[in-house]
Amino acid sequence: MPDETPTTEPSADDASAVVATAEVPPEPDPVVAQLAARFEVGLGDGLRDWADAFGHLVVRVRRDAWRPAAELAKRDLACDFLSFVAGIDWRPADKSEGDEGGDTSSPVQPTEMTFGAAGAEGRFQVFAHVESTSRHWGVTIKVDVEEANPRVPSWVGVYPGADWHERECWEMFGITFDGHPSLRHLYLPGGFEGHPLRKDFPLLAREVKPWPGLVDVEPMPGGDEEGGE
Amino acid sequence: MGLVEKGVLGRKPLKPVTWLLNYSRKYSLWMFQWGLACCAIEMGAALASPRFDMMRLGVIPFPASPRQADLVVISGTVTDKMAPAIKRLYEQMPDPKYVISMGSCANCGGPYWDSYSVTKGVDQIIPVDIYIPGCPPRPEALLDAIVMLQERIQNEGIGNDELASRWRGEPVEVA
Amino acid sequence: MTTTQPPSQMPGFEVDRAALAHLADAQVNVELDTGDMILNMGPQHPATHGTLRLVVRLDGERVIAADPVIGYMHRGYEKLTEFRTYPQVTTLINRIDWLSSFANEVPFVHAAERLMGIEAPDRARYVRTILTELSRIATIYLFLGEMGLQVGALTPAFWGFRDREHVLNLIEGATGGRFHPNFNRIGGLKDDLPWGWVADCRAAMDRILTGCDDFEKVLVGNEIFEARTRGVGIIPAELGAAYGVSGANLRASGIDWDLRRDGQPYLAYPELDIKVWTHADGDSFARYWVRLQETRESARMVLQLLERLPSGPVMAKVPRIIKVPEGECWVETENPLGQMGYYVVSKGATGPFRVKIRSASFSNVSILPWLLRGVYVPDVVTILGSLYFILGDIDR
Repeated sequence: MPDETPTTEPSADDASAVVATAEVPPEPDPVVAQLAARFEVGLGDGLRDWADAFGHLVVRVRRDAWRPAAELAKRDLACDFLSFVAGIDWRPADKSEGDEGGDTSSPVQPTEMTFGAAGAEGRFQVFAHVESTSRHWGVTIKVDVEEANPRVPSWVGVYPGADWHERECWEMFGITFDGHPSLRHLYLPGGFEGHPLRKDFPLLAREVKPWPGLVDVEPMPGGDEEGGE
Repeated sequence: MGLVEKGVLGRKPLKPVTWLLNYSRKYSLWMFQWGLACCAIEMGAALASPRFDMMRLGVIPFPASPRQADLVVISGTVTDKMAPAIKRLYEQMPDPKYVISMGSCANCGGPYWDSYSVTKGVDQIIPVDIYIPGCPPRPEALLDAIVMLQERIQNEGIGNDELASRWRGEPVEVA
Repeated sequence: MTTTQPPSQMPGFEVDRAALAHLADAQVNVELDTGDMILNMGPQHPATHGTLRLVVRLDGERVIAADPVIGYMHRGYEKLTEFRTYPQVTTLINRIDWLSSFANEVPFVHAAERLMGIEAPDRARYVRTILTELSRIATIYLFLGEMGLQVGALTPAFWGFRDREHVLNLIEGATGGRFHPNFNRIGGLKDDLPWGWVADCRAAMDRILTGCDDFEKVLVGNEIFEARTRGVGIIPAELGAAYGVSGANLRASGIDWDLRRDGQPYLAYPELDIKVWTHADGDSFARYWVRLQETRESARMVLQLLERLPSGPVMAKVPRIIKVPEGECWVETENPLGQMGYYVVSKGATGPFRVKIRSASFSNVSILPWLLRGVYVPDVVTILGSLYFILGDIDR
């Protein structure tokens, strides 16, 4: 449990943990708690926080514990299978505030920055999921990334499959992985500018013309006359 | 034979000659398959599946290179990374050449109309003769497109001012 | 030109036959230094099933290094999902792995349902399982046929396309779409099965089982097929897992791991009698063999499910405007090509905040630079074929 851990910043972490676990039952899965205890023992201070997200363990580690966390998962927890390494940008997307033109059709997200399970410190996070093929459990490991200087150590030495995932993450978010053999474009053509999955990367097609589905708005059957919200 | 390109047939060739040339062209279409995405599987079903069997329409789907092809079917999503290769292979095809754009993605971008990496329609790169709507179109739709194309070929004039321009590879206006 | 005779017949030119023979020997024994050759396979090549480009550095016929260049089919799914509502996303993710569209929808819909705390009714669960298995058969059947094509046997490809139509007819009959059913709704299914569908399905499964026997007879015992696939492209179990290779590719390396049985319980799989097939060899042949057995197993599973199909509604009560509460959820399923998962982060809006899509082929193909080192060019084709990837699933 987060309150038992001698974490370095208890106040911030506890607040975010409460938000994250508000939806799930308070008693974590026994396997999840057991796995979390293993991380606590193995990483000590390196473990910032953990949460139980629908039966899956989510741990957040310090940046210098990012690679040790992978080694721990692979060696001690038998997590031999690398599922993915990816990034996330917690910043809310730019929205045109109800004015005409621009992107009006996509779902409206909250405008304040909130963080998911196990919390976060800044805008960017890298998260990875590893699994055990023999014990059938899995762990999601998160690490905060500085916005000004986004870099984390690479996992290629532990899981060779991280190679392409990290290239993708570098391309999509602009996060550098120290120790990666060759960070070059994976999906996009060489001259592509920008990092598409950052929230401030606009989809120009949406700005230029409104969503085609808006042309034929029909009242929904069984709904009110105006066609719902 | 170069009869058309050199203008040997004159301004108004005899009708039977036109008919014969077009008739032989339309039933020996060598089709280059440019399978890109989901539509490629439906194209494969149209070609290889006994249920549809495209070869009965006189379409030969096995040219070794675009240099032997009369027709290319662009079936699937065209991305900005792929676009130069499509243009290049189209340019390698001998004239007269025909293009079928199969599926919403090749027509206009389809479900990826707002994506940052998808070309919004293959007609931005190469001229298209026939568009097949659908996501993906059924194999029957592709067969119908082939029949339509054959009709179009049959009715093409090959006099100097009519089709010779196309045979010489001059750009076609896409309506 | 006055001298037309070759130099060997000119006066004074004596041929030392022994020396010549020695020279010829030396020519054979000396390794010819040909220099490396770069071979570009694709982006449009029949062996790459679409638009994978493989840059191969060759020494003679042997591959020294291979670098897959992907992204020719990159459509930006993860970005697009952030601009769609939850029901709209299922339309989109149908097209990730376009052969098994229905199976793609399931994990995403599950993630949304889990976050919302609703559960699909029993009948919907069963029908979902049936359709997932049908799309698995439709996907792998194409592989069973095409693998023959990779080694030069044309007949199985036609069989594959022929029998696949029966399954596609079933999917079309139930959902209205041959390829992209978009049949899942958050909380259940769009519709119930039509009249007579169950009987048709039974008949089709019998055909599939016979078809599998045919493949086994024609290919598995075939001398050429064995020579081309046995001992080719061996993936060691540990390395495969560390690369994230999953599904039948990993089971063919001897790892007994199937999310239908071992993962978090989903659909009706916990109630079924499932056998997970593995093979110890890890070569191309093992991958073919495992997939063949899995197709049979799927057909048997469908028959089991049809026996137990419960009655009742196919749609749970859900609000008309779907808003998914704040939270994040990872759902993984065993798709025809391997492990497929969605990490859905929601912020309480009508659309997801971030969706990380873990597609199987991406990781399966990422082992290629390692796997292709040192093999011969013809084997590249069989290895690519036996890994069985869908380009949309790599590039997303």
